[in-house]
Amino acid sequence: MPTVRLRDASEYPEPIRKMFELSREWFNHDFKEPPAMSRVMAWDPGFGAPHGRAMKRAMAPGEFSRGEKEMVAAVVSGVNACHY
Amino acid sequence: MAGDAPWYEAAQVVGITNALNVAADGLGAAGMTAVEPARAPAEVRATFDEIRAFFGGAAEVPAPFRLIAHDAGYLADVWGATRHAFADNRLPRRLKAALAFAVSMTTRSPFGSAFHLAEMRRLGVTERGVLEVIGVTQMFSSYTKIADTLALEPDMGDMAPADPSPAPGG
Repeated sequence: MPTVRLRDASEYPEPIRKMFELSREWFNHDFKEPPAMSRVMAWDPGFGAPHGRAMKRAMAPGEFSRGEKEMVAAVVSGVNACHY
Repeated sequence: MAGDAPWYEAAQVVGITNALNVAADGLGAAGMTAVEPARAPAEVRATFDEIRAFFGGAAEVPAPFRLIAHDAGYLADVWGATRHAFADNRLPRRLKAALAFAVSMTTRSPFGSAFHLAEMRRLGVTERGVLEVIGVTQMFSSYTKIADTLALEPDMGDMAPADPSPAPGG
């Protein structure tokens, strides 16, 4: 069980809800609620916004494709034994 | 990365990378003696030659192989698994080197980080590409720890469809 109560998207202010729409486009998936991590990062935009931009820069296609980078991300998460 | 096959390949790279790193970092630090190619039996030298050729005609046999070469049969089997895991297949070798580099950084392996960084460069990855892999590794090292700290439960597992194909040969 999460340490914090994850707020539904409807509990966030309007500008943040627009960010959730961008998150849906990023994942190209129609979530019932934005992913837990998106809602966590939206809690404090002073941290979440630059962190999210850094992630998008890192994941953008370059010498390695987005798919290849997703695989790198998956193995890093696996090695970190991250349940999420 | 459609289907399960690329993920099996990635898992092999992760596994054997860790196996090599624990030998290089652990045994090296413990003061275990590495086998010198010039003094090795013919069977070991033959495996060493294959290893050097696979890694672009490297001048030195990478440390983990020299450290386990006291048992020629074991060396040959570990090398066989390593060669299979890192060879071009569904995943290209440069991506496999990138995965191994990311795993080595994440596990703080001095040997693996240096070795696979050199391999990425040898296989044509530029500094920009290296920085891309570092960026992904850093950001997901951050996300995973945030998720763990807050004990988040997985909620993105149904994004990708399950692969209905049978096991190879099945």
